Amino acid sequence: MDDTVVLRAEGLVKRFRGVEAVSDVSLTMRPGDTTGLLGPNGAGKTTTLLMLLGAITPDAGSIEVCGHRLPQGRSRAMEHIGFAAGYLPLPERMRVNELLTMFAQLYGIAKPKPLIDAGLERFRIGHLATRHCTELSSGQRTLVGIVKAVLHRPRLLVLDEPTASLDPDVALRVRTGLQELCRDDGISLLVTSHDMLEVERLCRRVVFVSQGRIVADGTPAEVAARFGRGDLEGVFLHLAGERHQVHEVLGAEQTDRPA
Amino acid sequence: MSDVATSWLRIRAIARRHYYVLLRSPHRLFDVTIWPLVDVLLFGSLGVFVAQGHTTTGRAAAAYLLSGILLWHVVYQSQIGLATGLLEETWSRNLLNLMVTPLREIEYAAGVALFGMVKLAMGVAVVTLAAFGFFAFDAGRMGWGVIPIAAILLAVGWVIALFVIGLVLRFGSGAEALAWGILFVVMPLSGVFYPVKALPRILRPLAQSLPTTHAFAAARALVDGKAMPWDQVGLAAVTAVALGVVAIAFVTHMLAVFRQRGYVTRYS
Repeated sequence: MDDTVVLRAEGLVKRFRGVEAVSDVSLTMRPGDTTGLLGPNGAGKTTTLLMLLGAITPDAGSIEVCGHRLPQGRSRAMEHIGFAAGYLPLPERMRVNELLTMFAQLYGIAKPKPLIDAGLERFRIGHLATRHCTELSSGQRTLVGIVKAVLHRPRLLVLDEPTASLDPDVALRVRTGLQELCRDDGISLLVTSHDMLEVERLCRRVVFVSQGRIVADGTPAEVAARFGRGDLEGVFLHLAGERHQVHEVLGAEQTDRPA
Repeated sequence: MSDVATSWLRIRAIARRHYYVLLRSPHRLFDVTIWPLVDVLLFGSLGVFVAQGHTTTGRAAAAYLLSGILLWHVVYQSQIGLATGLLEETWSRNLLNLMVTPLREIEYAAGVALFGMVKLAMGVAVVTLAAFGFFAFDAGRMGWGVIPIAAILLAVGWVIALFVIGLVLRFGSGAEALAWGILFVVMPLSGVFYPVKALPRILRPLAQSLPTTHAFAAARALVDGKAMPWDQVGLAAVTAVALGVVAIAFVTHMLAVFRQRGYVTRYS
C-alpha cells in the first residue's frame, strides 16, 4: 500500500441517460491535503463525490482509497473515509449518543463512548448527547454529522456542502473544528461548497469543475489568477455565466429546430 | 478485532438501530400485536362456524385454520421485518449514510433479520396465546415436527423480502406497497388453510412450485396426528433453496443497477 496517497481517482466518467455528468475527472490526494471541489450547480461535484464513496459506479475510470480499489475493496476503503453532507438528515427515532454509537460500531469500534464524548466536546455540543436527532437545529445536525464522520479517525474526510444554510456563527464553529481536525489528526479534507470564502480559508487547493470536466486545479490564488479574477467567487461567477450562455445557445438551437 | 468480530459488531449495531425504531414508534407494534390478534379472531371464528356442520372435515377446519394462520405469521413477520427494515432507511433518508460506511450488504441484511426474529417471536407468541385463549387451540399438538417446517417458512419469508428489496432498489418508493401486498398473492397459492387440490386446476402447478405449499401440507399432516411427511418437508426445503438462489441473484443485480444508475440520490 502506498502511504503517500490517500485517494487516487483516474479518468472518471459517468453518464445518465446519455448525458455525460462527469467527464474524465482525475484526482489524487495525499495525507494532509485540503481540497475544495467547486463548481456551479449541476457541474458534477456530488456525482464525483458519490463515485469516490462507492455509492455510484463510474462508467469508466478507477478509484483507489488508501490502496483499496473500488468496488471490490469498498468495505476496506470506507474504513478510511468519513462522510457528511449538509443536506442529509440524521436518522429519526435515535438519540445523538445512540446514533454515534451505531456508526462507531459500523466502523468496528467496540467501545466508542470516550471517542463520542471527545468528538462532541471538540465541537462544543456535548450537551446534545441525549437529545433526539429530530429535535436538533440544522446547525446542530451538521455538527453531529461531522462528529459522526470523524469518530473513527478517517484518513480522508469528505464533506458535501457542510455549511449550507448555516448561520455565520455555526459555520465558523464548523470551519474551526475542521481546521483543528486536519491539523491535529492529519486528516485529508475533500469538500464541496458554494461558499467561496469558506473554501479559501479551509483549502490549500481547489479543483473547479464545470459541465463535468475539471477546468482548473491549483491553489486558490493560482486558480483566480488563471481566470484573471481577484478571488474564487469571481471564478465561480465566470464559470456559471459561461454555463448559462451555453444553455441559452442550446435552447435557441432547439427552438430553431422543426417540431 | 477479527473480521468475524467486526462483522458481528456491525450486525448488532443495525439490529439495535431497528430496536430503537420500534421502541419509539409504537404504531409499528400493530404488525406484531393487533394484526396477529385480528387474524386469530377471524380465522378461529371461521373455523368454529364451519365446525358446527359436525362433519369430519368441518371439525378439522378450525385446527387447519388456526395452525395455518400461526405458521403464516412466521412467513409474514420474517418477510415484513426484513423488507420494512430497508424501507425505514429510505423513509428516514439514511441509506446514503449507511452506504458510505464499511457495512457490507450481507451484514445489513443480517442485522435487520436478527431484529426481525424478535418481532417474529412477538407476533407468533400473540397468535399462539390468542389461539389458545380464545379457541383452546394447543399449538403443541403439532409436536417437534413443527420446528423444521417453521424454519423453512422463516427462510421463505426472508427470500420473499429479498425480492421486495430488489424491486424497491430498482423502482423506488413506487414498489413499497409490495412489502405488504406480495404476501396476499403468495398466501392463497400456498394452501395455507386448504390442500392444493382445492385451488382452480390452472393454478395448481404454480402452487406446487412454491415451498410454502409443501410446508403447509406437512403442517396439516401433523395437525391430523400423522407422521411427519418428510417428502413434503424435503420438497419445501429444496424449492426454498432454489428460490433463495434466484432471490440473491436478483437482489445482487438490482443493487448493481442501483449503483450504476445513481438511484441513491433519490434518498439524499
